[in-house]
Amino acid sequence: MKDFAIKTSKLKKTYSSESEKIVALKEIDLEIKPGEFVTIMGPSGAGKTTFLNLVGCLDKPTSGGLDILGCNPMELNEGKLSRIRVDKIGFVFEDFLLVSSLNALENVQLPLIFAKNFKNNTNPETLLKRVGLEHRLTHFPNELSGGELQRVAVARALVNNPQILLADEPTGNLDTKNAQGLFDLFRELNREEGLTIVVATHNLRLGHSTDRIIHLNDGRIEQDERLVK
Amino acid sequence: MKFFILAYKNLKRRKSRSFLTIGGVAVAVAVLVCLLGFNAGYQEALTSDIDKMGYQVVVTAKGCPYEAATMILNGEAGLKFIDEDIYKQITSDPDIDKITPLLAQLAYDPEKMEGKGGFTNYLGIEESYMPLKPNVEIITGEWFSGNDVNEAILGYDAAESEKKSVGDKISIPGKDITLTIVGVFNRTGSQEDGTVFLPLKTTQRIFDIEGKLTGIGIKLKKIEKISEFEERLYPMASIQVISMSQVKGTILNLVNSAKILIMSVAFIAIFVAIIGVINTILMSVFERTQEIGIMKAIGASKLDIFKLIWIETLIICTLGGVFGSLVAIFGGNLTELLVRKVMPYAPGGKLLLITPELLLFSFLGVIIIGVISGLYPAFRAASMRPIEVIRSGE
Repeated sequence: MKDFAIKTSKLKKTYSSESEKIVALKEIDLEIKPGEFVTIMGPSGAGKTTFLNLVGCLDKPTSGGLDILGCNPMELNEGKLSRIRVDKIGFVFEDFLLVSSLNALENVQLPLIFAKNFKNNTNPETLLKRVGLEHRLTHFPNELSGGELQRVAVARALVNNPQILLADEPTGNLDTKNAQGLFDLFRELNREEGLTIVVATHNLRLGHSTDRIIHLNDGRIEQDERLVK
Repeated sequence: MKFFILAYKNLKRRKSRSFLTIGGVAVAVAVLVCLLGFNAGYQEALTSDIDKMGYQVVVTAKGCPYEAATMILNGEAGLKFIDEDIYKQITSDPDIDKITPLLAQLAYDPEKMEGKGGFTNYLGIEESYMPLKPNVEIITGEWFSGNDVNEAILGYDAAESEKKSVGDKISIPGKDITLTIVGVFNRTGSQEDGTVFLPLKTTQRIFDIEGKLTGIGIKLKKIEKISEFEERLYPMASIQVISMSQVKGTILNLVNSAKILIMSVAFIAIFVAIIGVINTILMSVFERTQEIGIMKAIGASKLDIFKLIWIETLIICTLGGVFGSLVAIFGGNLTELLVRKVMPYAPGGKLLLITPELLLFSFLGVIIIGVISGLYPAFRAASMRPIEVIRSGE
């Protein structure tokens, strides 16, 4: 097993439009170890989401090296990238991004449809129970609170037993109590299952409950702070 | 949960739209099945009608042979008369196997159809009629007791609709004559089921057309000899020889030309249905941009999304195919009724022949259409980039 889950070297991402060229990430060098719980912090436009999208194989870097669990997404076609997304990575989004026509349980089951390896799954009901939603299985997204929606999204991200959990501003739409609850859940998953977790957030207090805070600003790493527990 | 369930849920979400699209496909399938079924059925019914007629050749007064043939097939009167002498002259022709004189007449009966009024067909026949009609027999009663007696034999339906049986009396409207029913023919499935049969001489007397006929039915020893036979009759200026197989061919040709026209209409219906399916699915793809983005973000591949959208299209088309076939099967009788009203000549028997093969053919056709119409929307959906949905966070 490699001694890192995510490794980037001179990772760069630029977005080009007709009028301008935006450099979202400028030569990021970074290593995240398996089982690490990392926070990415920084103001809006710092490159947090871009970083998570690249690590989550949702987008391809412009240049530089990227290694995710031994795979180089730059060399993979779209089909193989979607395989990595479904098998190895769980993604939690700020806006929850649940499918409104499916109930909580069906939303959690959704990745299983796309996963070809059925052996590696956790039972969706068990997961919903773990996130404290056993009484909400058949509720649709419009019948759930913000905190509940985010917990369904976490359960969905975990159903294929990923090795890396990425969360982009997962507490952005949650109140303080729910936000803390979510981070407690992340910590539990990290401790009990050795899950590598990378969370982008603005919340410094929540960031301090993790192992490491990487401060991004204007597409560069401003500070890489390891927290002593 | 499987792809199928997911696709089904998506369609269920937009019930009325899915339902209307399925309806569009169903109409196209029903039209196709009915048209193809009609074509096969008409051909079979016409062939059976002509075969049941027993005559291969009919001699009538000169005029439009097809009009004459149609009238004879319909058991209608209105034909011009020929002299009975001609019958006597032809009878001795060496190529003739069987021959019978016919005199068709029509009378308006104001009491018919429960007071609504309608025409009754009368056919004057002789005993030579029966050998030409192997499928006709008297089921109750017996043949006329003489050549010029006031007796009638009713076709099966005529007896049924008039509620008459052997021994009852009937009268011909406008004629001061009462006829005794001496027999009833079996059901033949042809137009003659509704005819009142009289002895030839009686018909001539009642309608005041002594010595006249409207046609002569002939079966030749060998049908190949028809042109020689026709040639021999050629000098008789007032008559024409109509070969029923030629008539059949011509009627089928006419029906086929009409079929091409109707088929174009059917194809337009199918085309509109395809556009409808593409539109529905494409709209739902556009409406679900975010949802498809989410699915791709959590690991759905291009192929997965393609499959999902394709299954939705197939569900619509399959349900459309099933409902369309049901409509064709159960609504076919209605179509038949309509066709009978508008066609100048509709043979007896079932006009619409919907076979399992035809249903299977139409069903496979609609599935192929579904597969094709699903291609573009599925491709559009599969090409969506998840990042565009997810990026809203930054």
